[in-house]
Amino acid sequence: MADRRLLSGNEAIGWGAILGECKAFFGYPITPQSEILEFLATELPKAGGVFLQTEDEIAAVSMVYGSSMTGTRTMSATSSPGISLMQETVSLMAYLKVPSVIVDVCRFGPGSGMAQTSQTDYRQVTKGGGHGGYRCIVLAASSSQECCDLVQFAFWLADRYRMTVYVLTDATIGQSCELVDLKTRDFGALPDKDWVLRGLDERGGNGQGIHPHMWDYVGYHEDMNEKYREITENEIKYESYRMDDAEVILVAYGYVSRMAKGAVDLAREEGLKVGLLRPITLWPFPTNVLRELSLQAHHILVVEHSSGLLVEDVECALQGKVPVHLLGIWGTHRRDSSGIIYPERIVEEIKQMVGVA
Amino acid sequence: MVLNLEPISVERDLLAPGHRLCAGCAETIVVRQILHAVGEPVIVASSTGCLEVATSPYPYTSWRVPWIHSAFENAASTISGVETMYRALVKRGKIEDKGLKFVVFAGDGATYDIGLQFISGAMERGHRFLYVCLNNEAYMNTGIQRSSATPFGAWTTTSPVGKETPGKTQHRKDITAIFAAHNIPFVAQAAPHAWRDLMSKAKKAIAADGPSFINVIVPCQRGWRYAPGDTIELSRLAVDTCVWSLYEVVDGEWRLNYYPNPKKPVTDWLKSQGRFQHLLKPENKHVVDILQAEVDRQWTKLLERCKVS
Repeated sequence: MADRRLLSGNEAIGWGAILGECKAFFGYPITPQSEILEFLATELPKAGGVFLQTEDEIAAVSMVYGSSMTGTRTMSATSSPGISLMQETVSLMAYLKVPSVIVDVCRFGPGSGMAQTSQTDYRQVTKGGGHGGYRCIVLAASSSQECCDLVQFAFWLADRYRMTVYVLTDATIGQSCELVDLKTRDFGALPDKDWVLRGLDERGGNGQGIHPHMWDYVGYHEDMNEKYREITENEIKYESYRMDDAEVILVAYGYVSRMAKGAVDLAREEGLKVGLLRPITLWPFPTNVLRELSLQAHHILVVEHSSGLLVEDVECALQGKVPVHLLGIWGTHRRDSSGIIYPERIVEEIKQMVGVA
Repeated sequence: MVLNLEPISVERDLLAPGHRLCAGCAETIVVRQILHAVGEPVIVASSTGCLEVATSPYPYTSWRVPWIHSAFENAASTISGVETMYRALVKRGKIEDKGLKFVVFAGDGATYDIGLQFISGAMERGHRFLYVCLNNEAYMNTGIQRSSATPFGAWTTTSPVGKETPGKTQHRKDITAIFAAHNIPFVAQAAPHAWRDLMSKAKKAIAADGPSFINVIVPCQRGWRYAPGDTIELSRLAVDTCVWSLYEVVDGEWRLNYYPNPKKPVTDWLKSQGRFQHLLKPENKHVVDILQAEVDRQWTKLLERCKVS
């Protein structure tokens, strides 16, 4: 019988780490992420892994770097301000091609912001996060099940492409409880970790350094671009929902995509032809998929719990060929930090947009 | 230093009621005591933590004085910026010197862990400010995770209790001594039940010509697991068991402010709180022994430093 449990998104991330053979976790408390830390403090050592709480997020991500260099599957988790603090080392790991998985349970920002839900980190994580023009893969979970599965996939991607993979959730996904099938996912064979820190000569390490382009800066970036192109070709993930005859396409991720799904069903009941495209990889973004789907659409409605960040990638994909509308943070049901975007509000926006209100 | 309770009791609190801190929280008691002692004009900075969150839920504030919030790690740097500009403007004759005072309130996470380098920098540069650590011995604002102020053997959500571990497996760091090693004019430890001692220290600290630091233990009923009405008693017990000693370091000279008589066993302290209940089981007696030995070692060291025999 399948191991089925009621788990919050944060606990499901912890289980994903255990099932994904994560053997080291370094983290620091921050709401709304701390349950990941608390879960792994108890459970990871039982699964043969190491848990350590650090003095801040800079130490946490730097320990991730050190631990990953031993060839160990290593993870950290934090929330928005913590992601900012980590960026120097994330950039360093991108430069040195070090695999790592970092979970961002997004809270409201900018600044310390609020501990409640939001999607205000989209631009930061999808554009790498720090200095130097690198990229990180970003996987956006929209359920506890996906939290568990995508963390496992993140470890595979990190090892496959030797880079940081972010798993992006939000306070709503992190704190909501749902049934999860705890299954170990197999994503295929991985290359040997011939880059781990060994030392030279009889220790069998690589005398060339971690990348062979010490004096060829152009070559270095060409290599990185080649890797990014390969990822864009092979790893794009998305879900399309009731899209067959859709004339209105909603684009949403994370908790908002759940609301958007509800909105699609409500709108369909009223005879409106609405579908949803939910990017699962936020980088690489499903640009071509969206472009193709938009051929049949009259309207695109981006719904996101921010002032308009995802909408930039949608506009970039569609190049002005289909009108792109945005229902942003002003679509929340309350103007304080407890506000969330409900399906009814999305339907209202759709009606206004297509002129049936 | 003469401190009369009667005028203080009718003086307006600079931290207003109506904040959202828990019942029985020692933080507001300490903040009020210190602000009464320091007096106006004063500018307060807070790092992220219980006090900040509970006194400034947008768009409200409980602060009757100018108050600035920074991120988690850098309140000491922020107050350094404010203090520097105040001094510069006074020096250039742009503003009148009204004897403005500068105070930071921060928790133990912000002080012992994430903010240590920034406090150290501010102290080395010599800004004239008082840094108060409201030390409840864990990350209470995020839900009771261990910090480097958490004592050995204590349960927190990230120092779990089980077959393999009896709570936290490291001793807390002696941050007061670390700041004393910065050779700043005034460093002290205090506790809210000893209000006269605490307020005298705040007065000395703010009068010092340079940085000062006071580490105050603030019992936390949620994190320590005790009844909210026992806060002041727990503060007293911490001092009577030598788990928390009252002393000051004035211009490098260590002085003991209170010698408990009798010095109570650490088990009295452990029995008073839920976070230590597992230590009372017979199989954890060795943990209690380690804790008692550490308390005794620190106490002996303190007596030596203070030249008390």
